Amino acid sequence: MAEFLRSIPLFWAKVISIFLYLLLALWVITRPREFIYRGAPDGKGWRDLRWWAITLIGIQIFLYLIF
Amino acid sequence: MKEVLAQHIDLFLIVVYLLAIFLFGVLFREYVTSTEDYFLAGRALPWWVIGMSIIGTNIGAYDYVGAAGGAYRFGIAQANYEWLGAIPAMIVSALIIIPYYWKNKVYTVPEYLGKRYKEGVRVIEAVIYGLFLVMLLGIFFWASGIMLHTYLGWSIGFSIVVTAIVVGFYTISGGLAAVAITDVVQLGIMFVGGFAVAGVGFAKAGGVAKFFQTLKAAHPQHLKVFLPLNNPAYPWLGMILGLGLVLSPAWWCANQSIIQRALGARSEWDARAGMMFAAFPKTLIPLLVVLPGFFALMFAPSGAINNPDQALPWVVKNLLPPGIRGLVFVAFIAALHSSVDSTLNSAATLWTKDIYQKYIKRDGSDRHYLIMGRILTFAFIIFGVAFAPFTEKFPGIYVAMQTLLSFFQGPTLATLLLGVLWWRSTGWGGFWGLSLGVIIAVVLSAAGVNFLYVAWWSFVASLLINVVVSYLTPPEPPEKLRGLVYGFLEKDQEFKRAVEERLNG
Repeated sequence: MAEFLRSIPLFWAKVISIFLYLLLALWVITRPREFIYRGAPDGKGWRDLRWWAITLIGIQIFLYLIF
Repeated sequence: MKEVLAQHIDLFLIVVYLLAIFLFGVLFREYVTSTEDYFLAGRALPWWVIGMSIIGTNIGAYDYVGAAGGAYRFGIAQANYEWLGAIPAMIVSALIIIPYYWKNKVYTVPEYLGKRYKEGVRVIEAVIYGLFLVMLLGIFFWASGIMLHTYLGWSIGFSIVVTAIVVGFYTISGGLAAVAITDVVQLGIMFVGGFAVAGVGFAKAGGVAKFFQTLKAAHPQHLKVFLPLNNPAYPWLGMILGLGLVLSPAWWCANQSIIQRALGARSEWDARAGMMFAAFPKTLIPLLVVLPGFFALMFAPSGAINNPDQALPWVVKNLLPPGIRGLVFVAFIAALHSSVDSTLNSAATLWTKDIYQKYIKRDGSDRHYLIMGRILTFAFIIFGVAFAPFTEKFPGIYVAMQTLLSFFQGPTLATLLLGVLWWRSTGWGGFWGLSLGVIIAVVLSAAGVNFLYVAWWSFVASLLINVVVSYLTPPEPPEKLRGLVYGFLEKDQEFKRAVEERLNG
């Protein structure tokens, strides 16, 4: 098992982490709107936390692609 | 003459900072009239204060020194602690976990676990976290003493007492509100100081592009975010499994110091948005803590740095001009204070709500618990000051504290996740999963397993034990799970109505 893990190229660490980020993004965008806005004083677009999360995930994927 | 003047500017900046922070305590004192004011800022915090306070709490002076040292030795892989080891967990915390804390109007994470499982789980979690936070205070005070002694020449004892008086005064006076607002100011100072270091370093290197070209040519491995499995500190699998999937979610979903700000939110949306907003400055933290390590790598002459933890002090001492140096020093002090105040307030909250109010005096008035919260805060300051010198006797104590954290982070996360996400998880499942998970973590650690893998395997073991014991014990009655479990709240109309009724009093 240890031998097998050691044989995995480092490139796959990036692939796994980016795949996990994409999975998280998919989960985030499928959250219902009423859940996201619960407790918000109004329904303005900037309060949609899904976009906050997608922006954060996008920045992360960019960083992991370049480093 | 020029050096003396520069030293006076630095000293002036430090004194102005200490006085300004002291005044916050005076200003906030009148707003604290109940335990809710003291422990949860009257549940009035807006999202941006929560977000900045969370990051102020998260970043301590030790992070600056340790992370810069890590970057000096291993490179950008150190940034995993701020990226993969934080951002996903913060998003999950904001969208799944925090709504359950906030809706149940709890003061502490153990209080939620006690409601969801049984009192035994609350006691174990409260005692573990309570002791951890109190011991952490001693380390923070000692670090503060060392910094003031090194920079200003004050004696360590005097430095510790000054820190205790300044931080203790505004924490006891203003409670969480004063702590959160000072955290905002302190985070601002940290970023100004961090950007100043980055600006000076890049200027000296001939620009950002030139800097990275030179670094890549001289140290190509330092710009790789993942390191091979045989790396002693940051093996890539350990980073993904241990840090990304266990330690980080446990920190961002179950750490009382972090979560308490969200519990003080003025609305559920503010609580979630606060955590999400915190992830933006968190993304930028490597600018503050990783870049100085790179600057030391690039500019320090061979042999100048014997210990990686000297990387940041070397940069401050040798690269920064007077004035900027004082500003960066104030940023360190601010980072330290923002961690001390949050730890103090959270320790007092845990011991007052989960131990004192639950097991020592159940029928006290709100005013009684407010006074007790303040007395405990004061007691923890005294304990922290008294414990601080012992930190010197154990040079590895900070590392030991990190290892200690890995003993209970995995089992805590497993217990919390199953509690929130799986209705079938029972009180005994939570109790045995948490207790045996901690024991397994201790055994693995004693066997010399890397702490990242200790966290992962104790998490897996705790998860399995919880599931097996839960299936062997009768399910919890539905009325006990109302408003506490994800599936129930989202799907069941009756439970939805029950939650609404509970929220409406």
